[in-house]
Amino acid sequence: MLLSISWRNIWRHPARSGVLMMAIIAGLWAGILVTALTNGWIHQRFVNLIQEEITHVQIHHPEFLTEREPWMYIESSDEIFSTLSRDQRVLSWSARTLSDAMIQSPLTSSGVQVRGVQTDKERATTTFHENLTGGDYLDIDLRNPVLLGERLAEKLNVEIGNRIVLTFQDLNNEITSGSFTISGLFRTASNPYDERNVFVRTEDLQALLGGGEVYHEIAMMLQDEELSNAVAMDLNSEFEHIAAETWYELSPELRYITDAGGSLIVYIMAVILLALAFGILNTMLMAIFERMRELGMLLAIGMSKLRVFVMIMLESVILTFTGAAGGLLLAWLTLGYLGEKGIDMTAMGGDSMAEFGYDAVVYPIAYTNDYIMTIILVVITALLAAIYPAIKALRLNPGEVVRE
Amino acid sequence: MAIITTQNLSKIYNPDTIPVHALRDVSLEFEEGEFTTVRGPSGSGKTTLLNMIGGLDIPSEGHVEIDGTRITGMKDRELINFRLNNIGFVFQAYNLIPVFTAYENVSFIMLLQKREKAEMKERAKELLSAMGLSEKFDSRPKQLSGGEQQRVAVARALASRPKFILADEPTANLDTDSAMNLLDMMEKMNKDENVTFIFSTHDQRVIDRARRVITMVDGAIHKDERKSPPSKGESELSE
Repeated sequence: MLLSISWRNIWRHPARSGVLMMAIIAGLWAGILVTALTNGWIHQRFVNLIQEEITHVQIHHPEFLTEREPWMYIESSDEIFSTLSRDQRVLSWSARTLSDAMIQSPLTSSGVQVRGVQTDKERATTTFHENLTGGDYLDIDLRNPVLLGERLAEKLNVEIGNRIVLTFQDLNNEITSGSFTISGLFRTASNPYDERNVFVRTEDLQALLGGGEVYHEIAMMLQDEELSNAVAMDLNSEFEHIAAETWYELSPELRYITDAGGSLIVYIMAVILLALAFGILNTMLMAIFERMRELGMLLAIGMSKLRVFVMIMLESVILTFTGAAGGLLLAWLTLGYLGEKGIDMTAMGGDSMAEFGYDAVVYPIAYTNDYIMTIILVVITALLAAIYPAIKALRLNPGEVVRE
Repeated sequence: MAIITTQNLSKIYNPDTIPVHALRDVSLEFEEGEFTTVRGPSGSGKTTLLNMIGGLDIPSEGHVEIDGTRITGMKDRELINFRLNNIGFVFQAYNLIPVFTAYENVSFIMLLQKREKAEMKERAKELLSAMGLSEKFDSRPKQLSGGEQQRVAVARALASRPKFILADEPTANLDTDSAMNLLDMMEKMNKDENVTFIFSTHDQRVIDRARRVITMVDGAIHKDERKSPPSKGESELSE
């Protein structure tokens, strides 16, 4: 009964209710779209960093990440390799030899980080090889091949097939250098990364470092990202003189964007819901003022105050929910399209986003939880916004208002 | 036995600022089956008296008893429930629910009483037919004339099977034909079903039909006359 009367009451003024519903639809659509865009940005950055480089868990010498000395390699790496190969939670792993170096072309020089990778294992563990934009990967039959970022190649004024010289410190703290041939160029979503990193085969780098098979980093992908903490803890307790850390500990940037991204979404939704609350409050107050006499009559003939209260709350919830359903449907349809096509932000300064490591084309993502949370928040907002008008209705003196 | 008793009823509005004595020491008794009019000029206290009897307002002094139950001092929730099951209201401005049909307006009060669906349906149809609205079950108030709306309001008031009906200026917005038609219907209900009606009005057409006329002046009972009902011919002559 109350549901029926509330539904019909909403349509007394189709234009007024329609305008509010359109506002709710537009607000929620925009809110979910912005949320999905933020989710997409975060997800893409997360995937880029995790899948291309950081992986879920990494192992280092305990002081390597702060000191970056060549001799701070991982001891007993063979035992660790055996353990990782046996661990069902580990999907794949790859060991890396790292060194800070100076790269020289005939024209200029620059500081870089040399990443010596196991070509097969790196290909199985990360998706870095997918960033190759020209030339060949390191498994080419070539002496000392090197991969350079496009930006770095441009800066050094070199191209595929040219030679460059890498100079660095070996394990005995002696300066050493080697000549490498550019086998390919790559471009990731991050321009700074492309300018600072070069890739070589780990055995080529180890030969120059002069210490045999030394590895500074072991990166692993797990069956599930949520296993990261457990795997890192197990490795730390099993092996001495190593530091196994999760992506959350390794990358302050990822930690920040995953933490702050959630807060950003909350702020966006809070602003939308606040505007929504005032819209509902205004509409419901107008509805109550208009129907004073009728509400007084209902109280006079014997409708309980609780029922009057519930009726008004229901009106607010139905009105909001109908608009919210429209907004969610529109958002779902829009995201269905944009989720596949992506939003090309190039025209809106998308290129400069790459300076911070973000893709120019964003694929918005809305999780089921976003929809559920939105529905819950909208209903709560509708209820809160309707409380004041409902209380106002309950304070009516039926004897007075029916005569007005 | 009196169905309604008011004992030394007084009502003072704004007692702390500019006191207005709306009712002064009103003691009355109404018997079952009465067809009574409370008359008087504007501000004489007619509506205030009806509001007190209907439990819509609280007296400053005195009390109201309905069928032996003292409603003065009842809690809000009890009073609303009491009104639902014992008192029928007809208002000057009809006050129908605009989004409901005539049938739904009449059924609504029985829904509040949680009556059986079949009984509700039968009663609503019976009352609307008795009010000459059998063709208007599905019409919304906007599609009805003023007289028809007021007849729906009377049917609604009767639907809950109240002990009595309080009608506040029920004919004030009606033309003569509609008013006479409405009064015929109410008089018929009064005679056939012994429904007690108490009107507040200064409409001579209603006063002429009443068998008891209470005249109020300045919040007090000025006159309380009982008369035998006028014949229809007399009523028409008096106009």
